[in-house]
Amino acid sequence: MSTFTIGKVAARAGVSADSIRFYEREGLIKPTNKSGAGYRLYTGEAIRRLNFIKHAQQCGFSLSEIRELLELKGHDRACCNDIYRVAIEKKLQLESKIKALKTMSQALSKLIDICSHDAKPLDACPILGALESSIAKQNARSKNSQSKRLGANP
Amino acid sequence: MSVKVEVFSSPGCSKCSQAKEILKTVIEELGKDQVTWRDVNIVDEMDYAVELGILSPPAIAIDGELVFPVLPKPGRLRAEIIERLEKLR
Repeated sequence: MSTFTIGKVAARAGVSADSIRFYEREGLIKPTNKSGAGYRLYTGEAIRRLNFIKHAQQCGFSLSEIRELLELKGHDRACCNDIYRVAIEKKLQLESKIKALKTMSQALSKLIDICSHDAKPLDACPILGALESSIAKQNARSKNSQSKRLGANP
Repeated sequence: MSVKVEVFSSPGCSKCSQAKEILKTVIEELGKDQVTWRDVNIVDEMDYAVELGILSPPAIAIDGELVFPVLPKPGRLRAEIIERLEKLR
């Protein structure tokens, strides 16, 4: 079986050697063995594994989730349902993030609409003004809830 | 007036079957006229699940509000439904 050094595996998988060392520390990959001089040696399986990690990262999976997927992949008793469950949970998380980002985008659209594009000084900028007043409102709300808590538990 | 319970599940999820069994037991105790329930397949109704803030199945919503994001113990589910029924009276 042919083996590759970390540099060769990194080049073939399109990642850096540092990334491979990091994945090793995170328990995602390990060398097949070491050369007499102590260099890490990998087989073609490592390249497939690195491609899997890269693709999963692009789909939004975190390293711990990728670890779970790789463990399931190597588990004799795991089945497609286990992967299906992880994929559904990730889809729910992504959709939830998209929803939050859309809300943020709408808030920014409102701020952009109130800006009149003229050369007012920064003190008169409606976008900065709106952000500051929302910060002031948040602070007032947290002060209120804090004083209510203190009042309830003197 | 009845309380509407929705169980969000996904195919092949063993905990989801457990959630449905718990709910069926609670409904049998309280009476079918008091509680209506619906099994929601997350894959078919992903938008609705996201709208309620569900992050993993099984989850339980009551009257259109996510109340149990993770599988509750039967006693907690029963207590929550009873509390809501009392508010309706």
